[in-house]
Amino acid sequence: MDILVGSLFAGLLIGMVLALVALGLTIIWGVMDIVNFAHGEFLMIGMYTGLLTAQGLGIDPLFTLPVAGVVGFLLGIICYFGFVKFLLRGPMVAQLLGTFGLMLFLRNLALLIFGSEDRALHHGILVGKSFDIGMGIIVPATKLACAGLSVAAFVAVWLMMHRTKMGKALTATSLNAQGARYMGIPTERMNALAWGIGGATVTIAGALIVNFWSVNPFIGLLFTMIAFAIVALGGFGSVPGAFFAGLVVGMITELPGFWDFFTYTFEADWMVDIPMTSFKYMWVYVAYFAIMVLRPRGLFGWKQ
Amino acid sequence: MEAVRNALDFSDFPRLDLIVAGSVGIAFIIFPLFPHSSFAMSTMIQFLMFSLYGMGWNTIGGYGGQVDLGKAQYVGIGAYTTAVMLILWDVPFWVSMPIGMFFSVVWSFIIGYPLFRLKGHYFAIATIATSLVLKDIFEVWDFVGAARGLEISPIKYHPPDFLRLIFKEDVYYFYVILGFFFIGILYMNWFRKSRLGFQLRSIKDNEDVARSLGINVHWAKVKTYAIATAFVSMVGSFHACYIKSIEPEDTMSLDISILIALMAMLGGAGSLWGPIIGAGILIPLKSYLKEWLGAQAGMVGIDLILYALIIMVISAFEPRGVWGIVEKIRRRKRS
Repeated sequence: MDILVGSLFAGLLIGMVLALVALGLTIIWGVMDIVNFAHGEFLMIGMYTGLLTAQGLGIDPLFTLPVAGVVGFLLGIICYFGFVKFLLRGPMVAQLLGTFGLMLFLRNLALLIFGSEDRALHHGILVGKSFDIGMGIIVPATKLACAGLSVAAFVAVWLMMHRTKMGKALTATSLNAQGARYMGIPTERMNALAWGIGGATVTIAGALIVNFWSVNPFIGLLFTMIAFAIVALGGFGSVPGAFFAGLVVGMITELPGFWDFFTYTFEADWMVDIPMTSFKYMWVYVAYFAIMVLRPRGLFGWKQ
Repeated sequence: MEAVRNALDFSDFPRLDLIVAGSVGIAFIIFPLFPHSSFAMSTMIQFLMFSLYGMGWNTIGGYGGQVDLGKAQYVGIGAYTTAVMLILWDVPFWVSMPIGMFFSVVWSFIIGYPLFRLKGHYFAIATIATSLVLKDIFEVWDFVGAARGLEISPIKYHPPDFLRLIFKEDVYYFYVILGFFFIGILYMNWFRKSRLGFQLRSIKDNEDVARSLGINVHWAKVKTYAIATAFVSMVGSFHACYIKSIEPEDTMSLDISILIALMAMLGGAGSLWGPIIGAGILIPLKSYLKEWLGAQAGMVGIDLILYALIIMVISAFEPRGVWGIVEKIRRRKRS
């Protein structure tokens, strides 16, 4: 029983962080209908920023979030004005391959600068501590804090989208760009803002993830695909959808735990032979494919 | 006979194109007679392989306008079928290649049927997902060697073995793939003038109009996807015999899918010569960049950075590719 609840809890916690990862992608997709393959690479940059700031300044990794946010915002804006703006004129295939080129560029730049070895954080007030919340469930303190901060960041973005004038302009642009332009909204600047917010949220998520995950230059693609799955499940361009879908995908990544639970409960020997841990991320892709085919709009999406 | 005559009929191209294409073709045939390094030879074989991949992609992606970024899974299916059959049951290449194509086509129908309900970006990303699922399965499947992959040891055979396609010298491989290459061009020349080719172009221009003209859009796409698949799988089988050591990471990775699409776009998607031009630019560039820069100490990744920059510049400023530029110049001359 404790395996089940433990997996459930772990899935929820990681799901909250993954939801924050996908938030930027869904905003960018909603506003400009462009797929950002470099999303996971932004996350990787956020992880390196968190790691290096924490190590360089000797402060706790949780206080590096503002630095990561600023870096991500600038990165998003630079990418938009320096590159993505030109992609928008071309056909779809150029957009897909262009952001793929951006991904390759950032990944190999990181490889050139940081080298290919895994790096991890080993210090910080929360690292290594954990809570026992009863029923034999042990929650690592870092994961709990990261999940909490992710939710906070999520709520902040949601409030910005719905309560401020700027956020409403952003929403209007994503609903109907041409109409928004006629209403006097500077859509060009809104596009840049979407990339800025997208970059900032994902680098903050990266700075959170680096607390419990080691970083190397190749980590981006995995998170890009997870983010795609979350965005597809939640609906393209939907912010609350991204949150709930994040939780679901978090559960999917904890499938091996559930599998163990059912194996022990039913004492099913054939279940032991299947290496679930190696298939961990495959289920994310399968879920993604299934959602795309069965309900292309996703759970909360409005774009077809 | 009609089909053969159509395939051999290049008369709708300007004479200049035909002269250039013919002389390049002859240059390929006599290329091994001239002194060359073995590196140049392997680059040449890579170029021919990738232009065949690109031709396959061009049917669905270029003429049909459906951006497919999951072609690597069919490279994998073809390569693994040939390798497994050769190692376990000693089946010759010329038998296992059609079987691999058959498997690929069956798989393409299974996933193509639901896939083509999607359009645009959604389709592109869903193809990536299927490709990654297949790669993950192959990475844990012990029968095909899991993540270690398979190795064809050439010692067991007596090269040159034309049945199993095991050779010591690259020249043999070069002529085999060159043969495929010419057949591929003829097939593509037939395809673009076939009924399906015209249907696809009308689907690309306007799907609703195509449907109202009585074209079964979904079925046309699925069929073309299977054709593209067969091309890719065929070269995948060749890849297994040529490289002799295959693993999921380098036969089925996303990078290969992207490279295939990129070449066709760089050369000019939706034209007969496009993928060949694209492969001719990109493959030598990639391998020579790696040779010159990648091996140097402290410069890991710099070749791929340059390569990525080239991708970015092309897609931002000349998304219609080299062939697009040629056509623009021609149009300007005429008017």
